[in-house]
Amino acid sequence: MEATREIYWNVGHGVVLPMYFFAALAAAVCVYGFVKRLRVYKLGKPLDRSSSPFLRLRAAALRALGQLKVMREIYPGIFHALFFWFFLLLFAGTLTVMAQVDFATPLLGIYFYKGTFYKIYSLVLDISGLGAIAALLVYSVRRFIIRPRGLETSWDDYAAHALLLLVLISGFWIEGARMAATEMRNNLELARFSPVGMWTAGFMASWPDAKLFSFHKILWWTHMFLDFSFLALIPFTKLRHLFLIPVNYFFSDLGPKGAIRTLDLADEKAESFGVGTVKEFTWKDLFDSDACVSCKRCQDECPAYATGKYLSPMRVVQDIKRGAFGGPDTDVVAAVTDKALWACTSCRACQETCPAGVEHVNKIIDMRRNLTLMKGEFAGDEARAATSSYEVNKNPFGLPPAERADWAAGLDIKPLSGNAEVDIVYFAGCYASFDRRNKAVAQKFLQICGKAGVKVGMLGKEEQCCGEPARKLGNEYLYQEMAKANIQALNGYRAQKIVTACPHCRHTLAVHYRDLGLEAEVVHHTVFINDLIKSGKLELKAGKFDFTYHDSCYLSRYSGITEEPREALQAAGGALTEMSRNRTKNFCCGGGGGRVLLEEKEGTKISAERIKQAQATAMPLVVSNCPFCLTMLEDGIKTENCEETLKVRDLAEIVAERIV
Amino acid sequence: MKILVCIKQIPDMASKFKPNAANTWFTETDLAFRMNEYDEYAVEEAIKLKEKQGADPSDLVVLSVGPARVVEALKKALAMGCDRGVHIHDDESNLKDPWQIASLIAAYAKKENFDIIFTGMQSQDRGSGQVGVTLAGDLGCSCVTTAINFSLEAGVVTAKRELEGGAKGVVKLKLPAVVTCQLGLNTPRYPTLPNIMKARKKEIAVLKAAELSAEGPRAVTEKFYHPVKKGTGLVLEGEPAALAVKVLELIKEKTTVLRG
Repeated sequence: MEATREIYWNVGHGVVLPMYFFAALAAAVCVYGFVKRLRVYKLGKPLDRSSSPFLRLRAAALRALGQLKVMREIYPGIFHALFFWFFLLLFAGTLTVMAQVDFATPLLGIYFYKGTFYKIYSLVLDISGLGAIAALLVYSVRRFIIRPRGLETSWDDYAAHALLLLVLISGFWIEGARMAATEMRNNLELARFSPVGMWTAGFMASWPDAKLFSFHKILWWTHMFLDFSFLALIPFTKLRHLFLIPVNYFFSDLGPKGAIRTLDLADEKAESFGVGTVKEFTWKDLFDSDACVSCKRCQDECPAYATGKYLSPMRVVQDIKRGAFGGPDTDVVAAVTDKALWACTSCRACQETCPAGVEHVNKIIDMRRNLTLMKGEFAGDEARAATSSYEVNKNPFGLPPAERADWAAGLDIKPLSGNAEVDIVYFAGCYASFDRRNKAVAQKFLQICGKAGVKVGMLGKEEQCCGEPARKLGNEYLYQEMAKANIQALNGYRAQKIVTACPHCRHTLAVHYRDLGLEAEVVHHTVFINDLIKSGKLELKAGKFDFTYHDSCYLSRYSGITEEPREALQAAGGALTEMSRNRTKNFCCGGGGGRVLLEEKEGTKISAERIKQAQATAMPLVVSNCPFCLTMLEDGIKTENCEETLKVRDLAEIVAERIV
Repeated sequence: MKILVCIKQIPDMASKFKPNAANTWFTETDLAFRMNEYDEYAVEEAIKLKEKQGADPSDLVVLSVGPARVVEALKKALAMGCDRGVHIHDDESNLKDPWQIASLIAAYAKKENFDIIFTGMQSQDRGSGQVGVTLAGDLGCSCVTTAINFSLEAGVVTAKRELEGGAKGVVKLKLPAVVTCQLGLNTPRYPTLPNIMKARKKEIAVLKAAELSAEGPRAVTEKFYHPVKKGTGLVLEGEPAALAVKVLELIKEKTTVLRG
């Protein structure tokens, strides 16, 4: 007997017209729902995210179909991915039926819905349906019974889960009813390819035909209406993420990570800077907020949230969303609150993990810009004092700019003003220039350069703060003043290659200064030292030591520099035991986003939390690579009272001690 | 209402000061400059007063005496909210005594008929604390110094001022008046970016010091030098009981506390 089934069995071809009518109706409701939302996105300012459309399309398709971002957290991500793939197969199955009965048969007279193809098709769809139900049950248990901390459940979660479950279950009972009346009676060989249908058919085996036929008919219509309700409900429930997230992937930022819009401060027509109200966000910011499904992964990764601060990146995004739907003039800063905004360390853990492609960090910085530039507000008195110091002394400590190069007195480094021939320009930054602990790191770096025969120059007294903390705290004006002075000096001396002690300086010079005209190559000292080791210019003593490594956010997440420092430390004899959160998943020290200048009054200290994570490795040494991290982690060690058992040192110090 | 606020640009106090060639003041090489802290309170109070005038048109002038660099301090005051600036250009201002500085300001202010003048209670570098009061004398105004609270109702200034030993006093004075401002009066605002941009277009009139006043000094700076290091700190170590005895001996021996 031929392996196939009669399409529209029992319901008849007469259902085609009403079916397409209701499908069109549901589609219209769906489109209407999205058009209404589109009006909200359009409240935002323009932003061009249309470059390289094919590249975008490929990346978006890969991420969405491959469920790559979702599976960054294997549990529960894998269940989302499985459900997605199974549901996609079921949808493809329905399209196959449509292609056969409504197109191939009437238009081309071709019948492919049979034979081996049909058998495989039947089996695949039954497995998909069963798999989808299983995955759906796993997440229903997780969401409604286990209730993970921080996961907020609303009515549309119940609606979406129930609807999907009903669609799947009703499908199997329709199949069972049809099979009970057909295959189970006359083609058991074929029925074996629909094992779940066979199972449900078993319950109906003894039913009289009339009951079986009318049950099938009622269920068929019910299933159809459930399917169309699903379609119509998409824009009105969290299901909207089906469209919004792939689209958001398409519009993701293709520029360098962590770039921030450079404000035109000469624009005399500009009346407002930063983002205070909904209409000052870009459309992408508003779109982001609607693509968010409150999966709380950002919140789980957030160091501020983990240590009891008022900030949750998820809540920020949801506050923006509520604001966006409240009208163009809604005060989003008030909705998000300054307390939440100032708590951010700009560590980017939220943005890196977000499966919806939401860009959290720049939203926070844009709102901080509003607080700083439009309202003259500060994160606290210490921020006010640091700002005043930046204005006058070009460093946050209020120390005399004339003493900026004193750390290098008597060392082999030449001010560029003396027209010396140099291989690299060392941009020490404020901490390595003024902070006692970090001066020692800079001095070790010079020792390494001396051994490797690298001629080093510096701006010396001409160097100013790179402007990073000021910029992250929202003070674009102060940032640009200092940045422009540095760029003018560096370009004036025709600096070719700049090495920085600080990952924040590196990222600012390498990414942010491009907008203002810096041309030189900028590398961090860890990468530079690793290159010296690899090229054989630096010979290191053998001698094993045990350590754990703390990635700086601005090296790892922002710049993708995770392996170079590890290579250098291993070349120096280090045996690395990783902390549970490492590389791009690392846990911030608490010093980013300008927070290094601020007191941490709320909750517990982020640095202490990181030190606890380091202690869990039982290593006697944490190696860091960033002046802020070094400062914060040493503070964390004091808080945790473990000065005797744990030390923090910079990579440059470790390598310098092992030079032959 | 016409308001004047007088400010001084001073070097950052964390700087290392070196005497100039003539040993009469410090050299400005390598120094970073900022607005005198007490003058920031004066600017803030003047702006607050201006804002309270509401519909009544007011004219808030910020004035500074000094070389070209003081324009930066004037710009900051304009960004904070002053209406226009007056720069009394004087390359030698750092060598002038308070009498001469007050004379320069008075020569300008006499023509303008200000209702009220704010200034800091003293500068952080020279610290004479005399310019404000001398200016009041020159103009024949009433004057209150070291104000930590200020209000103006119906032409009468009510000011709270600091007295010795933590006591406070409240004084009332008629306009025109000079008010010198002390820490605690207010928290100076941070200029917003739109105001910084607006300030770029505000007028700064430049007057030549020589054309305003030829007053000679009443007090001449004899010499500028770092204090000679006398004596050093003493660290005592040991048991608390023994330490107490040692401390008592030291007090008897080296101080007059116990002599009666």
